[in-house]
Amino acid sequence: MTTGAKYTRQDFQTDQEVRWCPGCGDYTILASVQNFMAEMGVDKEKIVFVSGIGCASRFPYYMNTYGVHAIHGRAPAIASGIAVARPELSVWVVAGDGDAMSIGGNHLIHALRRNINLKILVFNNQIYGLTKGQYSPTSELGKRTKSSPSGSIDFPFNPVSLALGAEATFVARTIDMDRAHTTEILNRAYEHKGSAFVEIYQNCNVFNDKAFIALTGKEERDLNRIPLVHGEKVVFGPDRDRGVIIEGGTARIVSVADVGIDAIHVHDATAASAGPAYALSRLSHGPFGPTPIGVFRSVDRPVYEETLQQQIHDAQAKKGGGDLAALIASAGTWTVA
Amino acid sequence: MREFIDGNTAIVRAALDAGCTFFAGYPITPASSILMAMMRQLPRVGGVAIQGEDEIASIGMCIGATLAGARAMTATSGPGISLYSENIGLAIMGEVPLVIVDVQRLGPSTGGATTVSQGDVQFVRWGTAGGFPIIALAPSTVPEAYHLTVRAFELAERFRCPVFVLTDKELGTTLTTVDSEALVAEPVAARVTGAAGTPYRYQPAAAVAPLHEFGRGTTVRFTGSTHDEAGFITKTLPTVDALNRHLIDKIEANRVEIELVDADLQPGAKTLVVGYGITGGAVRAAVAAARGAGEPISGLVVQSLWPVPESALAVALDGVERVIVPELNPGLYRREIERIAGNRTVIGVERLDGELLSPQQIREAAA
Repeated sequence: MTTGAKYTRQDFQTDQEVRWCPGCGDYTILASVQNFMAEMGVDKEKIVFVSGIGCASRFPYYMNTYGVHAIHGRAPAIASGIAVARPELSVWVVAGDGDAMSIGGNHLIHALRRNINLKILVFNNQIYGLTKGQYSPTSELGKRTKSSPSGSIDFPFNPVSLALGAEATFVARTIDMDRAHTTEILNRAYEHKGSAFVEIYQNCNVFNDKAFIALTGKEERDLNRIPLVHGEKVVFGPDRDRGVIIEGGTARIVSVADVGIDAIHVHDATAASAGPAYALSRLSHGPFGPTPIGVFRSVDRPVYEETLQQQIHDAQAKKGGGDLAALIASAGTWTVA
Repeated sequence: MREFIDGNTAIVRAALDAGCTFFAGYPITPASSILMAMMRQLPRVGGVAIQGEDEIASIGMCIGATLAGARAMTATSGPGISLYSENIGLAIMGEVPLVIVDVQRLGPSTGGATTVSQGDVQFVRWGTAGGFPIIALAPSTVPEAYHLTVRAFELAERFRCPVFVLTDKELGTTLTTVDSEALVAEPVAARVTGAAGTPYRYQPAAAVAPLHEFGRGTTVRFTGSTHDEAGFITKTLPTVDALNRHLIDKIEANRVEIELVDADLQPGAKTLVVGYGITGGAVRAAVAAARGAGEPISGLVVQSLWPVPESALAVALDGVERVIVPELNPGLYRREIERIAGNRTVIGVERLDGELLSPQQIREAAA
């Protein structure tokens, strides 16, 4: 992170009245992102925020950067076009759980596998807020909402597992209320070369209040947050007496005293195999008990735009620049007797 | 020099000559050869070509790239236009220049993937919510495919809107002998961009503000929502009204500038044949044959389908009693002719089996 003193949070605010419900977690995330942008020190004219549709998607109106408030689910595709056309821009996608993983699931997974240099922030509140309380692709089984009056029978996505399965090179999870942690994760995402998937647990206090209380409540949070720190043993709890072991590809929570500290899994976010990260992601299926928080995976793989630019460079070098007549006559033409 | 070339290839060449720097598409018969040629050729002139994960992503990437400063084109067929729909709306609302090639095939649904049709002529006009205008050009020959594609890029820049190039399976994929001199165009002027002030302008309604590209000036926003001239979402009634009237008037009030027809009018003729696209060839042949037989007749091949070239049609309709409209669809463009033909008799000649209309079928209708 550059210690750029050239900006403060105010430089990234707009004159627009922020219109989320009072108490919405989005306010906290907005403040974290604006603060981080000031710290990041990148020219605000080189930053683009792209969103789809949903409460979170109003984000570009509140960021004094370039922005697109596009259509439902398509932000990763539109952002891909921006990033590929202008690799020097810092392109961020903001989406809710419905936007990113229901209607936009296809674009999300393909942007991740391509490793386009996009920073994708998914505000997961496990509900449709803008349309006033329908179940989402991350709503838990049995959840009663206005559109699931007998309880949801749709098995939910685990967003971190989904991103890992989609070949994402950077996958992390953070919590709206924890601004220091959010900032740290935003910085890690920014510094990662390629696509970065960040799930942010975000409280919708109107339609799904306290969904993340297990991770944010004063009495619960230390019991349930499993901090993932690269190179360190995965232990948690107020007394750090609980830990995680991985056996046969499956992660399990244990008492450190029972297994001994040597048996506890050492987190390696850079592991070549996504297996251990995936195993860790399966420790929780929704924030209802002990849940890993932090960077699950951060690995290097060629960035789409860089490989593409290399191909363009090679194609031009081979063909000597833009001699159109020559290239058109070079293939796909026939001489007719 | 003469070359053997099909319509899809002519469109690719036109795009490159017009300064296209970005293409994204998804494989679909009979438009795939445009995707494949762009993937091969665009990098050689420094451009970017991408095969998207679907049609929605492909047109979305084009919109993003244009906002970032590219000159973009995508190509598909009818089923792909179905998936383009919401992004066509975004390009209209965000005033994003974009060329969309529709190589028509027989529908509905999967229909006949390798079969000719002109079934999308109304679809491209009304293919997204709201009913706001777009521009559509329809070449009838390979050289026209080249020149109307170049013109499509000019119009997209001029009016900041999606411009369709409507061809079909026969024109797109049939190799034709063409004089090379027929495939040359003046370069399309560089984009005039804005770097300060608002990215939109609604007054006067028919005027078009320059595009503000990302990373080149003060920060601006694009949105699919109703917005003010600064690009911020709004529900203020006079602003929303001005926005929507602007989206209509910038095209409708400038329709004469967009009009393109190939008129072959015979003074005193009481019969006029109006066609477009691949059917234009049969129109020209039928007119020539009728005149050879001593029958006075006029022909009009419409090249700018949308907006409807009403002033050119008014000239062509003057003194005419009967209009023949041959089409490879259930009479879709005939309704536009009927709308402005007054009391004249309008006769449709339709073919729906996936084969071309012959000049003889048109002459029989005129008999």
